[in-house]
Amino acid sequence: MLSRVALRSAAARQSTALVVRGSATEVGGARDEQNFPRPVRGEPGKVRLGFVPEEWFQFFHSKTGVTGPYTFGVGLATYLCSKEIFVMEHEYYTGLSLALMVYIAAKKAGPSLAAYLDKEVDSIENQWNESRTDTIKSLEDAVEAEKQAQWRAQGQELLIQAKKENVLLQLEAAYRERLMNAYTEVKRRLDYQLEKSNVERRLSQKHMVDWIVSNVTKAITPDQEKQALDRCIADLAAIAGRK
Amino acid sequence: MGFGDYPKEYNPSVHGPYDPARFYGKPDTPFAQVKINELGGWLARRNKSPQAIAGAFSRAWWRWQHKYVQPKKVGIAPFLQLLTGSMAFFYMINYGKMKHHRNYKYH
Repeated sequence: MLSRVALRSAAARQSTALVVRGSATEVGGARDEQNFPRPVRGEPGKVRLGFVPEEWFQFFHSKTGVTGPYTFGVGLATYLCSKEIFVMEHEYYTGLSLALMVYIAAKKAGPSLAAYLDKEVDSIENQWNESRTDTIKSLEDAVEAEKQAQWRAQGQELLIQAKKENVLLQLEAAYRERLMNAYTEVKRRLDYQLEKSNVERRLSQKHMVDWIVSNVTKAITPDQEKQALDRCIADLAAIAGRK
Repeated sequence: MGFGDYPKEYNPSVHGPYDPARFYGKPDTPFAQVKINELGGWLARRNKSPQAIAGAFSRAWWRWQHKYVQPKKVGIAPFLQLLTGSMAFFYMINYGKMKHHRNYKYH
């Protein structure tokens, strides 16, 4: 029972918190850049005498001129001291000596300390900006690389075209080689046929001659041989007698 | 408006990022432009609740911060201002004791 009460009160509190939170965001409206510009980090305000705001001098300037504020300050100090409204007890002289020490320290060590601190500020700012500038630079490099890659891809297209032409040349060469091959094969067969027919004719001629010679020699009888021999001898004798 | 809340008038969608040095309510005549005879009415219109007074001090503090302490390269000015201000403050709160150190009875 008690836990339920606690739960309910917690829920109620949460809802009011939501309402309070919502009141800021629910109202809505357009962003007013004119009257509520985004705050920017400005330059430090100008001061005189180390700490007095410049504006206070400007406030005097229109009425009393340049020396007015100094006159006012010195006059006020004189009044306060002379009436002892400003009481110069022992701590006042301590303050004077401290002020002198602060002045000397600021004049002696101030410029070098300021230079050192300015350098530190710059280095810290650079450190904080470094990742951003590095990222920008890397992205620009990536864009450059992408352009390079696109240029290379265009080169690839040229290369592919050249390869296609090369393949066409190879096909042409293969075609011509086969054409030549067919020509030589046909020529070889025709040569073979020619040679074959030549050989056949030669063989048949030779065979015919052999046949004729053998038949002729076979047809010569011993009588005829004898007659021919005799005839030869007679011819030889006739030739010899004529000599 | 409890502790740590933004002022009621602050509306992020209109005013953008919150500037602690800025008054988001309806602006009245600036104090520097108030005529002497209007001063009573001007003071009567001021919100004198503790929250509003604390808010005014907070805005003054942040205005000082933004102008003299938070810029990137500040000099010795904010330190001297703080020193002078604290000297004046402690002089004021100790003034009752300081009075006994007066040297002259009559002026």
